[in-house]
Amino acid sequence: MPMLNMSVNGKPVAVEIESNEYLASVLRYRLGLTGTKIGCDEAECGACTVLVNGMSVDSCIYPALKAQGASVLTIEGLAGTWTDGREDDRVGAVARPRPELGDHAAGDHEGAPLHPLQSQFIQQGAVQCGFCTPGVLMQSKDLLDHNPNPTDEDIKVALKDTFCRCGCYVSIMNAIKSAAKEIQGREGREGREGNEGIPNLPKTKTPLNVIGKPLPRQDAVAKVTGAAKYTDDYAFPEMLWGATLRAKYPHAKILNIETSKAQALPGVHAVLTHADVPGSKNHGLIFNDWPVLCYDKVRYQGDAVALVAADTREIAQRALDLISVEYAELPVVDDPVDALNPETIIVNDGAGHGNLLKHIHVEKGDVEKGFAEADVIVENEYHSPFYEHAFLEPECSIGRVLENGRIEVIVGSQIPYEDRRQIAAALDVPEAQVRVRGALIGGGFGGKEDIAAQIHVALLAKATGRPVKMLYSRHESLLFHPKRHATIIRVKTGAKRDGTLIASQATIYGDSGAYASLGDKVMTRAATHAAGPYNIPNVKIDCYAMYTNNPPAGAFRGFGVTQSCFAVESNMDELAPKLNIDPFELRRKNALTIGRTTSTGQIVRESAGLLECIRLVELEVRSWKLEVGKDAPSNIQHPTSKLGVSRRLSKTPDSAAARRTRARQRSKCLKMERLKCVRARRKSDRACRRF
Amino acid sequence: MKFFDHYHLPMTVNEALELLAQYDGRARVVAGGTDLLVDAQAEYYAGERPHYDALVDVTRIAGANQIHKQDGACPEQSEWIVIGCGVTHTQIVESRLIRKRATALAEACAVIGGPQVRNVATLCGNIAHALPAADGTVALMAMDAEVEVSSYQLSVVSNQSSVVSNQSSVVSNQSSVVSNQWYALSTLFKGPGKSAVDSTRELITAIRFRPLGAGEGSAFARVMRPQGVALPILGMAVRVETRDRRLEHVAISAGPVAPIPFRAKRTEGFLRGKILDDTVLQQAAQILVNEAQPRTSAHRATKEYRFELLPTLLKQTLRAAMERAVV
Ligand SMILES: Cc1cc2nc3c(=O)[nH]c(=O)nc-3n(C[C@H](O)[C@H](O)[C@H](O)COP(=O)(O)OP(=O)(O)OC[C@H]3O[C@@H](n4cnc5c(N)ncnc54)[C@H](O)[C@@H]3O)c2cc1C
Ligand code: FES
Ligand code: FES
Repeated sequence: MPMLNMSVNGKPVAVEIESNEYLASVLRYRLGLTGTKIGCDEAECGACTVLVNGMSVDSCIYPALKAQGASVLTIEGLAGTWTDGREDDRVGAVARPRPELGDHAAGDHEGAPLHPLQSQFIQQGAVQCGFCTPGVLMQSKDLLDHNPNPTDEDIKVALKDTFCRCGCYVSIMNAIKSAAKEIQGREGREGREGNEGIPNLPKTKTPLNVIGKPLPRQDAVAKVTGAAKYTDDYAFPEMLWGATLRAKYPHAKILNIETSKAQALPGVHAVLTHADVPGSKNHGLIFNDWPVLCYDKVRYQGDAVALVAADTREIAQRALDLISVEYAELPVVDDPVDALNPETIIVNDGAGHGNLLKHIHVEKGDVEKGFAEADVIVENEYHSPFYEHAFLEPECSIGRVLENGRIEVIVGSQIPYEDRRQIAAALDVPEAQVRVRGALIGGGFGGKEDIAAQIHVALLAKATGRPVKMLYSRHESLLFHPKRHATIIRVKTGAKRDGTLIASQATIYGDSGAYASLGDKVMTRAATHAAGPYNIPNVKIDCYAMYTNNPPAGAFRGFGVTQSCFAVESNMDELAPKLNIDPFELRRKNALTIGRTTSTGQIVRESAGLLECIRLVELEVRSWKLEVGKDAPSNIQHPTSKLGVSRRLSKTPDSAAARRTRARQRSKCLKMERLKCVRARRKSDRACRRF
Repeated sequence: MKFFDHYHLPMTVNEALELLAQYDGRARVVAGGTDLLVDAQAEYYAGERPHYDALVDVTRIAGANQIHKQDGACPEQSEWIVIGCGVTHTQIVESRLIRKRATALAEACAVIGGPQVRNVATLCGNIAHALPAADGTVALMAMDAEVEVSSYQLSVVSNQSSVVSNQSSVVSNQSSVVSNQWYALSTLFKGPGKSAVDSTRELITAIRFRPLGAGEGSAFARVMRPQGVALPILGMAVRVETRDRRLEHVAISAGPVAPIPFRAKRTEGFLRGKILDDTVLQQAAQILVNEAQPRTSAHRATKEYRFELLPTLLKQTLRAAMERAVV
């Protein structure tokens, strides 16, 4: 193995590596500098950004040997470049040995003052899940090294390929600008004295003695220094790497699985199939309909068919190629309306009614009568596609058998207790025998509620007696995990001449994919919100959550309401000109307020923020109109676009309102494509969120 | 995924060629790796198993990371700008020489990837990849660039040709012949992603073109999807030579509108000798639409949309190039 000599964070390093390793993996797995993250592993996301000889690079595709003789600066060394309240000369800072930095372990910055970028990221609230933070900080350092006084535009250009999926962009820009000032001594640290670490949050309430005051984020310092630990940052002696064989087809019978060749590959410690699952063959959050390892058939291409544990990730991957599975292909169901047809092949009978996972019916008053009384009726069909969470940290789990025989699973999961229940059931052990340790989560947004590799690593750890880690590639993550439901929504809205809504009817088909996940809950919310936050006496809603051979659909921010809201509000925008009423006025007139009744019969008693929300949205939208003249071209003037409003009933209306305002294209059947939303956003917002 | 076994960092062209020869087609040239390494990964996930015994990194070859001005062979072409195979897009964007005297190229390289990609990706890699939409390629086509290809003919084919395991152990073969040949850039493309340069045996060592002088100007513009793809929907570069506001010479390159990088010869011919006004522009745009043949690509855009963009980009780039020419 060749020797790689370089300087890392000012310290000379000599390390034996494989010739084909990348810098990110050398830093993380050989030097233990796990502050450098891997989000995509293909030069897209910037999470792995480090400086090599003072230039930012994506270390995930930077061949490690290319760094031969170079100076490398990682997040762990960032604080060390700031001494005595000033920036060290940039190359000098990375080239000069810095014994005070101590060993390579993450978190060894302790005691060293933070770099202004780090403290400003905390101060400005630019740190959420923190997974992007090291990469964003290093790219920001590169920017300030080359351009001490960046404009907003400079910052956007510099961060073009450095993503934050939590969406901290505005705070990040503020932090970079404040840090630039601090570095130039224009604004000393003293300016912040006394509130170090307490984020600058907008005041919402008059603070009391304890309640209502912003507090320092507990893990903020760890997140800006690279010390924060996500699952893949843990390592154990003798740890093996696991890998999953995914289905070859979206719908096929499994006839035979042959693993002997894989088992014989040197370095392989275990190959498991469904026959090795001792307990419940299925898992699931609501319905037990999702095979731990597929046994009779596969239902989508992300399905797990076999597992391997091996000495290295490469060997595990190679072993997968040696497993042969014999399939008999079945017809593929890719449309939720088809799925409901009684002639269609059954994909999954998880809920006991064939492809129908759940029919949700909501009814209030008499819609027939309502439409008969209506002066104007608008009816449209809307399609929304699957949405990907794209949390920046791909799924990772580590399983190990503890000394007392208990199974421990380390995972960044949104619902660890549900993980424990499902792991115990699959292993056929009491729940007390399973311990799930929550690692930090590098973004979830609903996409880390389902079982990913939690059960698999537990099975492999039991089978091998050694700790086993499974880290999904971005590709595998996209393939495997549940998405936001794709929907087809038909909405009919009826109003009286004066703008009073009198009837609303909706039919929703939700594509819940191969497994239930949280599909019935999500679609229940889509259904209950399909009349909008309006006071309508006659409502009828039918929602069908369907099994198909598409990827499963589950939780995603908004939980089904996003789709309904899109359809309902688009109809409202069409209704307004037909009634010759301002779209804001139309909504105000029909808003649910305290004392009124929702379509499910609930009397609203508190937290009805809609009117306030509409007021703020209106303020903002009207101000855009003024900008149109100077900041042309604006889509508001565009011949095929018009002013529209979207809102959400929310307890904190101000934050939600601003975000959900957008001008919409007018068309009979709109696809809820992100591209269109991007086009509709204002210029500043647009350049900032290019991912 | 790992798809190569060894990584070499030769210091001379000779050493690089020798390594390639010894691996006998099982090694490949790499520069920034932003195409090669990312593509290999995509191929892996598509079920292929790409593999090279070695990658030969050409960015440390002495002098390869330089941009310099060189005197030409004959008096009327008195100078060249020469860009070595280790030169990154960042270097090009930061070069005053290129910003001033080959503006289109600086504009093109400035929009490739993000800073992390531009800091390692090379212009030579961009052309070696041979994609008709590659931004650097589009700009260089309008500059009438030339490319130096170095190849190596071993006089005696070494019989221990199998594995070279140690990166510095290769002994220079004195009897070998290195041929350095300049080709017009436009002759190097065989099809989308197919280069006439065999990167398992040959090396692009440099690119050169004539720097623009008084009365000349160039510009590049593109339309890009904001996320998820590395190549534009449509890119265009224009170079003009003017005298008294009249177009003496025009070069227009666009991509992707054909399987290989494309020069709009008929549009160029039409514009020669004209004074640019709205009518001329409109006519030129019509000719361009007639001679370009864009296609629909799954992840980027439809043919129809690309047709719509052609006149818009032509107007934008021609106007910008003219403005620069007449200052
Ligand atoms: C996130 C991202 C965004 C991108 N955005 C853009 C974009 O906007 N526009 C664009 O045009 N491209 C884009 N690219 C593609 C890529 O960055 C460029 O094409 C880049 O210029 C390639 O150069 P490289 O040095 O990285 O080439 P490499 O990947 O090292 O090589 C590419 C190919 O050329 C061969 N090669 C390289 N150098 C030589 C040489 N000297 N002699 C012979 N063969 C050689 C290699 O064998 C390989 O086949 C993007 C890539 C990424 C990852
Ligand atoms: S760019 Fe390297 S991990 Fe995404
Ligand atoms: S804080 Fe940026 S991705 Fe979570």
